[in-house]
Amino acid sequence: MYGMVNKSVQALVTTNFGIDKWEAIKKKAGVKEDVFLSNESYPDATTYGLIGAATEVLGLSADEILFAFGEFWVLHTAREEYGDMLSSAGRNLSEFLEYLPMFHIRVALIFPNLKPPRFECSDLQADRITMHYYSHRPGLSVFVRGLFSGVAKLYNTPAQITQTKFKDKGDDHDEFLVSWGDAAK
Amino acid sequence: MTQADFMIDREQFSKLFPFHFLVDANMRVLQTGAVLARICPQFCVGQELNDHFSLFDLSSDRAQRITPELISRRKTAPFVFKSASPDLSLRLQAMVLRDPERYLFLGSPWVRALKEMQLLQLVLNDFALHDSTVDLLQITQTNDITKKDLRASISNLEQRVDNRTAELSLANSELSRVMRSKDDFLSAMSHELRTPLNAVLGLSESLAEGVYGEMNAKQAQSINTIAESGRHLLSLINDLLDIAKIGAGKMELDLKKANVEDMCQASLRLVLEQAQKKNLKLTLAMDNKSVMLTADERRLKQILVNLLSNAVKFTPDGGSVTLETKCDVESESLVFSVRDTGIGIATEDLKRLFSPFTQLDSKLSRLYAGTGLGLTLVLKLVELHGGSVAVESEIGKGSCFTVRIPCKGLENAIRGGDKGAVTISESSPANILPSNTPLILVADDNEINLMTVTDYLHANQLRVIQARDGLEAVKMVRQHAPSLVLMDIQMPLMDGLDAIAHLRADDQYAKIPIIALTSRAMVGDRERCIAAGANDYLSKPVNMKQLVKTIHAHLPKDETR
Repeated sequence: MYGMVNKSVQALVTTNFGIDKWEAIKKKAGVKEDVFLSNESYPDATTYGLIGAATEVLGLSADEILFAFGEFWVLHTAREEYGDMLSSAGRNLSEFLEYLPMFHIRVALIFPNLKPPRFECSDLQADRITMHYYSHRPGLSVFVRGLFSGVAKLYNTPAQITQTKFKDKGDDHDEFLVSWGDAAK
Repeated sequence: MTQADFMIDREQFSKLFPFHFLVDANMRVLQTGAVLARICPQFCVGQELNDHFSLFDLSSDRAQRITPELISRRKTAPFVFKSASPDLSLRLQAMVLRDPERYLFLGSPWVRALKEMQLLQLVLNDFALHDSTVDLLQITQTNDITKKDLRASISNLEQRVDNRTAELSLANSELSRVMRSKDDFLSAMSHELRTPLNAVLGLSESLAEGVYGEMNAKQAQSINTIAESGRHLLSLINDLLDIAKIGAGKMELDLKKANVEDMCQASLRLVLEQAQKKNLKLTLAMDNKSVMLTADERRLKQILVNLLSNAVKFTPDGGSVTLETKCDVESESLVFSVRDTGIGIATEDLKRLFSPFTQLDSKLSRLYAGTGLGLTLVLKLVELHGGSVAVESEIGKGSCFTVRIPCKGLENAIRGGDKGAVTISESSPANILPSNTPLILVADDNEINLMTVTDYLHANQLRVIQARDGLEAVKMVRQHAPSLVLMDIQMPLMDGLDAIAHLRADDQYAKIPIIALTSRAMVGDRERCIAAGANDYLSKPVNMKQLVKTIHAHLPKDETR
């Protein structure tokens, strides 16, 4: 994964739990880097190691951490580091999610060696959309749910995110229903 | 493929070119792309192009009116049209359509940062997929982030270096403080140790000289061993004290003009006895014997003696040790080299050679006694003189230690001297003491006796050569024709009495004064010795003063002082 992901995990931990916890997580995960370069490729094992160590050091479940990380990624990392790119992706939640597959592919094309997941959308209606998530990386569906939740917060749109298909339960991919407005009530 | 294959409707065209527009020959708008219409709603069908846009000339920063002639002239060059409201620039390619004449402009907003897109309320999807404008902007932004990360990384490294430097600086000051404490402690302790040691040495000497009465051989031997150990301990303490002084910056050099040859000769004298014990050939080679050097003579001798005594110590029996001096006029320095044919030093060990308490092989420390401070002290003393020490060595072949001492005005100093002529002299006693000094052969198989007598005679300005049995004594007499022989009686291979008889049988040595020394002290000993040909007889333990007195009594008149 690209360094931006690890950098985001670092920011999430140091912002909410302090630098000492981050150092403890790094030590537990056997990670030596003090600074992650956003656009540099790092082994997936580094990210998984950091998340795993974080669950132990912070005493939180993996799902809690991954969901928080998804939201944090959008609301802090992406907004602070890639704010202009994020703004160019859509003017509202609906537009953002509709254009997400195209946005994601265009962004992915910029980064060499990136093995990005694939997003697709269907059933776009005025107050809902179905998002499909395809990835070779296991165990990140909760992170994606956190991402959608973060995007909804980014556009100040109360939304409900429901996972409707689960790859780890035998489906061929993960699927989420994102609804807002009346549909979210 | 026919033309029909390419027919696309206006909506499809607008999706492909969302910022396009079409004007007639009078520059009136006939059609605009959907996104351009959204961000610039007043630029609509029927409007005149020049009412909304002007041609931006990159070379003059001047706006121009857009005309068919101007469009025709520019042919393939891109156009940049600027509008004041909204603040929009379009980068466009023009195409002339015929029948009727129209002008089609294709392109997209000319933006250089994603922020400018936001100001125009443009999003990624407003651009056609074939338009790489946004991708380029995203790459630019990615590069900016990379630069920011690198700056953060550099800053992090700088911070770490700063922190580490601060830590090291703190550790250094602490280390300096500890070193100063150590030096103070050593200095104080060395003084405290020297005081009682002086008493041990002084009293040993008095005992050895018979001040408190005569001693038997065993007692004399024990006292000699006590004195020898005391001297070794004293040299260790002196070295420690010197190093502590230098470390504490308290050693001041007493710089004076000194005769280099005298210094070399004096240094060689101090290792001569050690060298003779091992049958080593000691040589002094000087390229200029008259050169004078401004240095602390005592300290310089200390340097040379340390190096020479190491060379002697680590050179096996029968080898050679050479002290060379060379005037290096170019670098204005005097170069002292101590070269030996000793056991040598491995290349990997050379680096730590000058560290305190380093004897490179623990086996060697058992074979060769030493304080382990000598070379540390040499280096520090040479550095105090502003000089340098270098070492070259090869295992099994020997070592060469080179000391370079700065010598300002060397060229003038050696003018008139034996410049260029290398003088080599071997350090037999004749070369260490003046040649008119009497030469005494001491024959004794007991090393301590041999050393004690040799020391004492040296101290009394007598040259000494040594033999360890009767056969060797006879050989040495024939070889060196000494002024007098001190002959122990009980010796291996040939005893003293036989040796005296052999010498007396030779006409050439029939008159050479021989003093017999024996620890028997039995009735009749004296008579037996005199009968064998000895001129005099002294029983051991011999009183040193008495010995010298007896020697002078028997020396030929022209050789006594």
